Amino acid sequence: MTQPYMRVEKLVKKFGPFTALNEVDLEVYPGEVHALLGDNGAGKSTLIKILSGVHQQTKGDIYIEGKKQNFRSPREASAAGIGTVYQDLAINQLMSVTRNFFMGREMTTMFGHMKMDEMNQIAHDEMLKIGIDFSDPTQAVGTMSGGQRQTLAIARAIYFGAKVLILDEPTSALGQKQQMEVLKTIKRVRSRGDIAIIFITHNEIHSKLVADRYTFLALGQVIGSGSKAEIESQDIRRLMAGGAEMKDLEQELANL
Amino acid sequence: MSDRSEADRLKRETLFERLVRRPEIGSFIVMIFIIAALTLASDGRAFNALGTKNNIAIIAQFGIIATGAALLMIAGEFDLSIGSMIGFAGMSMAMMLKWGLPFGLGEATPFSAFIITLAMTLTLGWIIGTIVVRSGLSSFIVTLGFLFFLRGTTEVSFRLINQSTQISGLPDYKETSWFADIMGGEVFGWFYDLWFALGGNINRKGDQWVTGFDARFMWWIILSLLAYYVLSRTQLGNWIYATGDNKDSARANGVPVNKVKIGLFMFTAFCATLFAACQVFDTNTSDAAKGNLKELEAIAIAVVGGTLMTGGFGSAIGVVFGAVTVGLVANAVFFIPWIDGSWFRVFVGTVLLAAVFANERIRKRITGGI
Repeated sequence: MTQPYMRVEKLVKKFGPFTALNEVDLEVYPGEVHALLGDNGAGKSTLIKILSGVHQQTKGDIYIEGKKQNFRSPREASAAGIGTVYQDLAINQLMSVTRNFFMGREMTTMFGHMKMDEMNQIAHDEMLKIGIDFSDPTQAVGTMSGGQRQTLAIARAIYFGAKVLILDEPTSALGQKQQMEVLKTIKRVRSRGDIAIIFITHNEIHSKLVADRYTFLALGQVIGSGSKAEIESQDIRRLMAGGAEMKDLEQELANL
Repeated sequence: MSDRSEADRLKRETLFERLVRRPEIGSFIVMIFIIAALTLASDGRAFNALGTKNNIAIIAQFGIIATGAALLMIAGEFDLSIGSMIGFAGMSMAMMLKWGLPFGLGEATPFSAFIITLAMTLTLGWIIGTIVVRSGLSSFIVTLGFLFFLRGTTEVSFRLINQSTQISGLPDYKETSWFADIMGGEVFGWFYDLWFALGGNINRKGDQWVTGFDARFMWWIILSLLAYYVLSRTQLGNWIYATGDNKDSARANGVPVNKVKIGLFMFTAFCATLFAACQVFDTNTSDAAKGNLKELEAIAIAVVGGTLMTGGFGSAIGVVFGAVTVGLVANAVFFIPWIDGSWFRVFVGTVLLAAVFANERIRKRITGGI
């Protein structure tokens, strides 16, 4: 807990005249879930795109284990241990679990011959580690539930060396039961102790269930951050609304 | 709350259920049906010694180009230029053999004519692929352009150099060239020798009737085995499936999507060239109209064999079954004298539609109805 795995300092991102992020700070620790909350357009997506190397920041720095490291490409970010699981999951429906798990990073012997049995075993074991006993890794992903697909994408990211796992709204497109599956998965990954999780969500209840630390974004700026103890639960609601008081909103609505 | 987990909802399948879910199951059933129907309707003549040879000849022709078309379709693209590519490659080889190598390089041998032609067709395949991936245009329209372009080029070249759009009466290179022999000669003679030894395969004089299959049978087998191995067991196969299923997620996982596609356009060009070489060295002729409509037949066979039009799904074995089915029906007119040959197209059209519906059902079953 002494040193954050990743530290972001005064990150600024401008798209022409538009300031998407303004001096954002962020610290993520191994074995912790860091909830990143904020309204639409608050800059969450821009932030994770910079962290995963898709965009480059205008100013500010990213430190990995204390060393300054700025990513010029997604490849560099993933080499530094940043694993991003996007909403679309980058999963192919018609392909089997194993084929998806190793997509683009197949284990091969000579002439590209795949070690299919070994790959099946690893895919099965890695999924089991974070809570899904998928009996048949040769089954097509199309037969899996949304929650299972999330698990597959998360297991894949971890297996290929993610130390910081960025989950982009993993619960947003799922039903209640499956949202719980994903939250359980997050808890299990957290309990490994060596992986830092950035959990992006709209949902205050979900964040309260799993998060250890919070950062709130509004209009490209951090408007509140701290550990679970430091942030009162009513604070969350106020900060989620971009700093506006619920009472004010109620008043505004009543006036209409 | 019960103790059931998500995983319990997916039941373990028996071997039979697994077989039924394979992409080639539909084409297998149709193939068995056609073989049975043709055997009955022709009094077994379709599968006597010569009938088998002739059937295999056309099946192998279909199979060679359909394998290329299917691999490309699995990666999510079409190639409508296959037929014109066959014409172009055949013209190129025959013309070099008749008029000598280009740029005054002297006499052509079957091997040098083939290699130079292959270099040209692979380059064309590379150009087509590069245009498709760079422009982002539909491969349907790009390769339609090349369908016209190549057929026109073939005819123009023939008239300019040869004054006629066909070449016939080339010497029989199979006698002198090992290369012409493995392309256009006979293979698997032992099969017919054995048949003769067992008391069949006898002509009216009482001698051995048929001595071997056309060489393209061997090439088709090699190509199909290769395609099967690549798709089911190699990294490249995984990339081909990934590219056709969803190229964005494939790219996000580090699959070189563009290289896969360009490579497969070159592979269809290779298949077309192989097709043409077998034809030229078998008959010692060439014609500007060769390969006409073959691109559509190749696509039809790939679909009948269980390949999805939208990519990401298909199998090399299915294509084998598809080629057997379509090939047998194409030849049926020779064994059933009372049948009108045009029924072939009626049949292919019907089976094609049925196959598309069947494929869609299989896809839905695999993806859980999405």
